[in-house]
This record gives sequence, structure tokens and C-alpha cells, in this order.
Amino acid sequence: MAERIKRTPPPKGDPVVRLEGITKRFGKVVANEDITLDIFAGRIKALLGENGAGKSTLMSILSGRYPPDAGRIAVDGRPAHFTSTSGAIEAGIGMVYQHFMLVRSMTVAENVMLGQEGGIWTSPRRMRDHVAELAERYGLHVDPAAKVSQLSMGERQRVEILKLLHRDSKVLILDEPTTVLTPRETGQLFEALWAMADAGKSIVFISHKLEEVLAVADEVAILRRGRIVDEMDQNEIGSKEDLATRMIGRALLLAVDRTRAPMGETVLEIDNLSGHGLEDIGLRVRQGEVVAVVGVAGNGQKALVETVTGLLPPQSGDVTLLGRPWREFYARPDWKETLSYVPEDRMGLAACPELDLTENVLLTTRAGFVRGPWLERAKAADVTRGLARRHHVTPQEPAALARQLSGGNLQKLVLAREFYRKPRIIVAEQPTQGLDVAATEEVWHRLLNARTKAGVLLVTGDVTEALQLADTIAVMFRGRIMDVFDAADQSKVKAIGRLMAGLPADPGG
Amino acid sequence: MPFWKAVKREEPLRWGSFFIFLAAMGLSLAISCALLAVQGRPPLAALSILWNGAFGQWYAVEDTLLKAVPIFLCSLGVAVAFRMQVWNIGAEGQFALGAVGATWAVLAMPGLPAWLMLPLMGLCAAAAGGLWAVIPAWLRTRLKVNEIITTLMLNYIGILFLDWLVYGPWKDPSSFGFPMTREFPPAAVVGAIPGSRLHWGLAVCLAAAVAMHLFLNRTRMGYEIKACGQGRNPARYARMPYNFLVLFVMGLCGALAGLAGFLETSAVTGRLQPSIMVGYGYTAIVVAWLARLKPGAIAWASVLLAALRVGVENLQLDLQVPAAFGGIMEGLILLTVLAGQFFRNYRFKTRRTDAAPAKEAES
Amino acid sequence: MNAEFLIPLLAAAVQSGTPILFATLGEMFTEKAGVLNLGVEGMMMVGALAAFTTSLATGSPWTGLVAGGLAAAALGCLHGLACLTFQGNQVVSGLALTILGTGLANYLGTPYIGQTAPGFMALPVPGLSQIPVLGRVLFSQDALVYLSFALPGLFWLFWQRTRWGMACTAAGEHPAAAEAAGLNPVALRWAAIAAGGFLVGLGGAYLSLAYTHLWTNGMSSGRGWIAVALVIFAFWRPGRAVFGAYLFGGVMAFQLRLQASGTNLPSSLLLMLPYALTVGVLLFSAMRGQGGSSDAPEALGINVEPRE
Repeated sequence: MAERIKRTPPPKGDPVVRLEGITKRFGKVVANEDITLDIFAGRIKALLGENGAGKSTLMSILSGRYPPDAGRIAVDGRPAHFTSTSGAIEAGIGMVYQHFMLVRSMTVAENVMLGQEGGIWTSPRRMRDHVAELAERYGLHVDPAAKVSQLSMGERQRVEILKLLHRDSKVLILDEPTTVLTPRETGQLFEALWAMADAGKSIVFISHKLEEVLAVADEVAILRRGRIVDEMDQNEIGSKEDLATRMIGRALLLAVDRTRAPMGETVLEIDNLSGHGLEDIGLRVRQGEVVAVVGVAGNGQKALVETVTGLLPPQSGDVTLLGRPWREFYARPDWKETLSYVPEDRMGLAACPELDLTENVLLTTRAGFVRGPWLERAKAADVTRGLARRHHVTPQEPAALARQLSGGNLQKLVLAREFYRKPRIIVAEQPTQGLDVAATEEVWHRLLNARTKAGVLLVTGDVTEALQLADTIAVMFRGRIMDVFDAADQSKVKAIGRLMAGLPADPGG
Repeated sequence: MPFWKAVKREEPLRWGSFFIFLAAMGLSLAISCALLAVQGRPPLAALSILWNGAFGQWYAVEDTLLKAVPIFLCSLGVAVAFRMQVWNIGAEGQFALGAVGATWAVLAMPGLPAWLMLPLMGLCAAAAGGLWAVIPAWLRTRLKVNEIITTLMLNYIGILFLDWLVYGPWKDPSSFGFPMTREFPPAAVVGAIPGSRLHWGLAVCLAAAVAMHLFLNRTRMGYEIKACGQGRNPARYARMPYNFLVLFVMGLCGALAGLAGFLETSAVTGRLQPSIMVGYGYTAIVVAWLARLKPGAIAWASVLLAALRVGVENLQLDLQVPAAFGGIMEGLILLTVLAGQFFRNYRFKTRRTDAAPAKEAES
Repeated sequence: MNAEFLIPLLAAAVQSGTPILFATLGEMFTEKAGVLNLGVEGMMMVGALAAFTTSLATGSPWTGLVAGGLAAAALGCLHGLACLTFQGNQVVSGLALTILGTGLANYLGTPYIGQTAPGFMALPVPGLSQIPVLGRVLFSQDALVYLSFALPGLFWLFWQRTRWGMACTAAGEHPAAAEAAGLNPVALRWAAIAAGGFLVGLGGAYLSLAYTHLWTNGMSSGRGWIAVALVIFAFWRPGRAVFGAYLFGGVMAFQLRLQASGTNLPSSLLLMLPYALTVGVLLFSAMRGQGGSSDAPEALGINVEPRE
């Protein structure tokens, strides 16, 4: 994490952008309610709030993606109506999204220059030179001739920023930019942001990570449930706990009561697993244990998870599940008392949006409702209703479509379904991504409760989550396990950031 | 279109399907009538001929039901394939191969009694049609070859194959050069239901409909087919036998189309001849989509489009309207229904461009 | 097989392949922007008829040509309406278009069967047509063939070296990215459907104004579908499309000659050649690179959801 430079932001002056009375609804949900916000030149404003507070919506409105239901936007004192993102871009406001909007098959230069004015003809060489010069000026190192598909996440983010700089954006909005960065890349990003602010640009930085806000922001605005509840300048910001309290209205209780569970037999054992980008992976999970595999997304976690969950045969090495080798275990898997997989991709993998709740529950439990060739749908519907009620899923109607559920409710349903199978091994991938604090706590509690009968392999990029839940932590980088250690080992815990970036734990060598 | 915007509905509209269908039919009929008028034919008279030709008397209704049989069976199969997002355009070719298969059984073993002959013909027809469908299915699962084009090409090839057989090795020597096989012995003809011109193929349709309904809604495989149709990824996650199901579904579709070919050849023409190829396989696709892939709705949609065909035949006779008119109507119906289904999931909303005070919150 | 058989065959291959080339490049144009249009067969027929009737009415084959292109583009816009505005399934909509277009063309064309319209005649290029072999094969053709020679180059130029080509590529690969860049992917797709449709119509017009000067029902006999397959075979690049189009042109010309020469082979089996070849070509593409689908535009066939 970059050290906080004693940077003196310029005085406020007239706001470059003023949002006044902005309100936005999606169906019954009020995403933004009567929000008023000022953005000043040369300053970095952090927009803080938990998931679902309305930060992304507000910035999408500002960047022209959605029109507000009510309210006004003024740029440089003049009213502005954006009917599309190009209108906002023309007014000098640009956004770097969490999910990059890059065309993978095109080069960096082409992506930066996409949609730009300037004649009919394009010259690849001129585009490359221009982008190279821009990258140099702001210290955003990336090869203009490279295809985006070949770039790392950090490099792709630089391309996104270059896109905005190329259009002389006055206001740059970054939506949760550090989710995909290693700690070192995060530091580089912050330095680039400071360089841009010093050049007079306004930066809006959306985050729910308090440490980052403390490190980089000149001022903070806090959203809760669609409203601005607090605004502070740098010198008014207190501690992390102070911010947290203001953010959710109560002390951040995200400390689950975790006592060690009695450990049982080994349920999952991985030895010398290699291939598909993995290198000599060794892990062991026992019943009653939570093993967290921590790492930035894209460092081999996908291959590891797919191997453990049976989607990808191990190329070399041994994977033993419940005492049986991989091949034997997955030849004819039972539907219950085996391995349950809670994937990161809720709506695309774990559940089908256009199927109803019963059908979604049947996805992994269908073998339990079968009599000969017949499927006992009525029984499945009853079970679904029961599960929904017990786990507080709304709507509870088994005939409701999965796409009507919010992220938190869907995750609860998926967990309910997987726990119904009485698993002995649970593989949970980013289980609380995109969930608000209340849902996150619920999910954590459920996972911990599941330990009594199962061993949990938790794959996450969120170090806080790992520290909350895990007994053992393994750090993954470029397909290798950098280190495996007990979660109580404080010295090792401090080094997690370095390990995630592929550096040795001890800076001394 | 800055003033209208499409907005996704919270829940899909449930009762609107019928109205959408009515609107679509109305629009299609209107445009078709306009086309008739353009060529100087009286549109209202044409509508009346269409109706009477299909439903006017019992004779016409029989005609309609007779045509509905092959359309229904083909469509049943196509709907199952479409449920899995396997785009089987090859019902026409599978129909042809089914006819060929049934004929082969007759020609190979002409002496069999009816109770052996007919089931054997059915079996051969289903096998031939099924095989013709499994080939593109296998190409898709093993080699990721696009099944839309392969099934379509096999249509052309299948029809040409049938042509070759009836012009060549299977030609009836006593037919004076007309392309057709020998007439089938009575044991090989699916008989008529006493008291009408309808044949027992209708019973086959009924049985198939019931079986299909049970299969799709009550069996495990039917559920797996529906789930797999949602995408490869969730299917893989849920450990569904995706590739096997693709092959199975196509085989089933081909078998049903093959059965339709058998019934047409045996009950309607009594011999194999190219005139059975009138595009039932393509109409089946329109029917399947119209019925939103549900067996119950497929029944009456088949009757509807069969009625259209019969009506158009009458138009040909009475007003010299070219047969291609039927194709125009079918294409229009499919397009309008497709566009109309938009309103199940979306609605249009006017967008205020000024920042006026928000509308009151929806309750 | 000697030169006296081969050279006219190659010349006929070019002629027969030209409508396929127009149609393939037209469909490729539409697909690169992300829209799958299976209505090519219907659009070719409609283009052929419109070109024929217009040429007959005005006496000018060039007017007919333009009319053919516009008619097919108009039909294509119905597909655009169904998919881009009404979020319809692109596969089904294309099929509907084929059924409709074929029906329309056969219906409206019935009075024209047997008539002849002013068409494009052979136009040997002075000088170049004297070259042995190549002169007869490439430079003694009609004006539209020469036009088609320029197409692949223009195609490449548009997609690789113009701003709009880049924009349409983005619409076909990642519409959300295009939107974020300030473009309108839906509008771009509309334009691609119209432009691609126009090219397909030119292919149809070729059939009724140059390849023959007649109208018959079922004029295109599956060429539209072959074009769709060739787009896959060509990995969405114009170079291989040329090869594929002339290959099929050659096969169709060969098959005609074989039939005319009074062979013993039954005509039905001969007629199967182009269709069997299409399957073969797809198989070949599949075995070369993951079904060829890895080169497909990422958002091909996927509608752009309307935003809130």
C-alpha cells in the first residue's frame, strides 16, 4: 500500500461539476435519493459506501450512462443534460468501469482511440505513437501495439485510464479500481492519480475499502441507502473505525465470532498438482477447517477450482477427495454428502436466470427427487419453499424466476441448495462479492456453521474475508502457492500483500 | 428514437401471449391482403376463400387435419431441439429420410402382414430420420460445427437422395416415367379411420403428444433438457450430460420427423414420390416458435398452419394465386410473433428529457 | 481434361462464384458488427427479382442492380427491426426472413417467368483480355465481376483502416465497450445490416441480370446458405471468402457441364455436390481451429439489451 504523501490539494474554488437533487429508481428500488454533490478541480474525492449504497448508480448517471429521474447536473456552472455516454465524454467526464469496456481482439492503441473524432481514415502507426506519448506523460506503462487479450488486469486498467486522458477528460471516475490489482499495482495507480490531480484533473474514486480511502483521498463523501449521509475533508477524517461507523451507521461488526472447530479427517488433499497453468500445488483441507486460498483474480484460482470441482482433470499430481482419487470420485458422483461448489458467478453458473426457483434448486439436487425416470417436481417445490423460508430468501414463491432475486437472496438460495446436499467438502469462490454487509455476515455465519460436517476451501481476493473465516491461509500467485500458514501467525499475515504480488515474505531476502 | 425506450419488465407478462398472437396474426393477414390487392386480387374474397377452404365444410376440415399430422409431428421434434438451443433446421430432410426408410421396409419385405409391416415401417422411418439428424448433432458435439448449416445442407441432400431413388433404382416400371415407386400393398398402408378420410396417424399424433408432454414435464431427462437449454456453463456446473443430450434430442427430433414421413407416404400417397416434399419441415419451425415450444400449443398451432396451407391451395385454384403466397404468410407470421414476444419481457416507456420532478414511486 | 475444357470451366467458375462472393461479403459485413442474418437466401431472391423487374421496366441494368441492392437491404431491415428493436432471437428471425423473402420473390415473380430483361454483357478489358488463360478467365467477364474484384480490397480497407470500421468491429465484439466509448452499437448494427444487405442484393441481382438474363422461381438454389457457411470458412476475413466463393462457383459450373455432357451419373447425385461440399468446408474449418468459432465476433448473435 502506498504511503500517504503529504500532498496539499488545491483550494476548492468553484465546482467543476455540481450534482443537485439527483434521484434514480430501478423499479421499486430507490438507488439514489435527492443527492447533491460538488466536484472540484485538482482534488481526489472518494465516494464511500457499502455495496448497494448507490455509488455506482450515481456515477453512471454522471457519466451519461443513465438519465436521472430527477435532479440537475451542472458542468462549469452551466446546466448539462447527457443523453448518452458520448455527451458526458464531450463535456469532459469519463468513467473507468469495474468490468473493463475493452475490445479484446483490438490493440491498446485502437481501444484508446475508439469512437474518437478525426476523419475517415485511421493509421495504426499514428495511433500507436500518440498513445505511447500519452502513456509516457502520465507514467501509465503499457505497450500500444499489444492486443488487449494479452494484457494483465493492471495493464488493462491503464488502457481504460488512457482512454479518458486521451479525450482530455476533466473529471475521471474510477469504480472500485483496486479489486483487480496487486498491492504494488495499487501503489502505482495511486501515484498516477496524484499525477493527474496535480495536472488539474478531478478524480472521483468509488470504493468500499477504507484503507484505500484513507491513503488517497483529499475529501470523502459517504453514501448509505441512496443518500449522502456525510461529507468530510481530509483533515476531518478520523480513523478507519470512524469511517466505518459513518458508513453503515453502526460499528463495523464484521468480526464473526470464530472459535476453532474440532478438526476431523482429511477431506481434500492436493499433492504436486501441475498443469493448466498450475505449478506444484499442495493443499490439505480437514473436516472442521476453513482453508482460504488468497490471491488476486487471474493467478490460477480458476484452474485450481475447476480441478477440485471435477470440471478439469488434473494433468499431473494427485487430488484425493474423501479418500478417493479424483478419477474415481468423479466417475459416478453422488448428489449428496460429497462436494458442493458455490461459484463466483452466481447468475451465470450456479443459477439460471430464466428458470424458476424450484428448477434452480433441482440443478444439483435432481438426483434426490428421482423415482425411476420420473422427476418428483411437487416434492421439489415443497423443499424449495421450505429452504427459502428457512434461509430468508425473498421472494419465497417456488415459481418465481431466479432473475427476480437480488444478489444477496440468490446467494442465500444457492447456499441453501448446496447445504441441503449435506456436503463433506465445500468450495466457495468469492462468496460475498457484491453483497451488502448484512448479507455478507449471514453468508459468513453459514459457511462457518457448515464446518461441523465439512471442510471448506475458500477462494477469495478479499484478504479481510480470508482473515475472518480461515484457519489456514494459502497465498496464490501465478499458479503457485507462495506460502501456507496458520491464520493466527501474525508475522505471516502482515506479509500477505507481498506474497500476493509474488514477492518473498521477508523483504530482507 | 429518443422519446421511447425499451424497459425490461420485472416479471414476464403471463396473460399477454394470446393477445400478442392475435395481433401478430392480424398484422400478417393485413399485409398479405395488401399484397393480394397489389396484384389485383380481391383481398376480402381471398380471406373468405382461405377460411372456407380450411374450415368451410367437413371435407375441408378433414383436409386441414390431414395436413396437420406431419406438421405436428415434425414440430414436436423441432420444439424439443429448440428447447436446448439446438437449431435443427433439418426436419425437412429428416422427413424425407423417414419416408425413404419406410419405403425400404416395404420394398425389402413386401410379404409381411400389416401388424408386422406397419410397425416395422415406422421403426425404419424413425431410425432413418434419427440417423439423418444425429449426423449434424455429432458434428456439433465433436467438432463444434454449426448445426444450422449442416442440417440445412442435409435437407437439400436428403431431398435429392429421395429424388434419385424414385427416378432411379426404386422407380416403378409401370409408371410410364413418372417418378414414383410401386404402389404399396394394402398391408403397408396406414388405414383410414372408418367414416372419414382421416387416417390412424392422428392416433399416433395423440400418443406422441401425451408422451412428449410427460417426457418434458415429468421426467428427469426432460428437466435436464430444459436446464441445458439455458447454456453450456450452468449445464457443466450441474454435471449434466450435455453432449449426450444434444445427440439424444436431435435423434428424437429426426425420429419424429421420420415418422411423419412414414405416415405421409403410407397413408396419404400410398407410395414414395417427390410430391410429399412440400415444406412441412420448415412450417414445423414456424409452428414450434408460435407455440413457444410447448406440446399443447403445438397441436392447435399445427392445425392453424395446416389450415393456412389448405386455404392457400384453394386460393390457387380459385384466384390463381401462386403457391408461394403461403410462404409469405408463414414468414410474416413468424416475424410478427417474434417481434410480438418482445412485449412479454419488455415494455416501451416515454422518456422525459427534462429534469422534471420524479414521477410518484411505484407502489 | 485439357485446356479447352479447363479454361471455359474456370471462366464459368468466376461467373458462378461472383454472386456467392457478393453474398458472402455482405453477410460477413453484417456478422462482423455482431448480427447473425440467416435470411441471406431470401434476400438474394428478393434482390434478384427487384433487379430483374426494374431492369425490365427502365431498360437499364445498372438501375436494376441498385434496385436489387436496395430491395434486399429493405428486407434485411425487417430482420433489424425484429432483432435490434424487438430483441428477437436472431436465428429464428433470419429463418423467418428466408421463408418470407423466398415466398415474396416466388409470388411476385410468377408473372415474369420466361421473360428476358436487359442485363450485363461480357465486357473484355482491352489489352488484359489478350493474356493467355488469365485473360479469358478474369478479364473477359462482365462489369459486375470486375466490381467484385475490387470488393475484398475495399472490405479490408473499411474494416482495418477507417474509423467506422473500427466502430463496427467494437459493436460486434463488445457492444458495451462501444457504448462506453460514446458510440451507438445498435445504430452501427443497423447500418451493417443495411450495407451488408445491399451487397447480398447485388449478389442476387447478378443472378438475374448477368449470370442469366431471366427470372426463374427458386433462382438462388441455396447459394445464400452457402454464403453463410463461407463466412465461417473464411474466418470472417475477406481473403478466404474469395477462395471459397470461386471454389463453389467452380463446383457448380463443373456440375452443370457434367450434366450437359450427357454423363451416366444421375443428375440428383450431381446436384448434391455443392451442398456436400459445404458440409465438407465447415468440417475443414472446424478441424483447423476450434470450430472456426474462435475467430467469430464475440458478440455475434447476441442482442444488445436495452439499458435502463
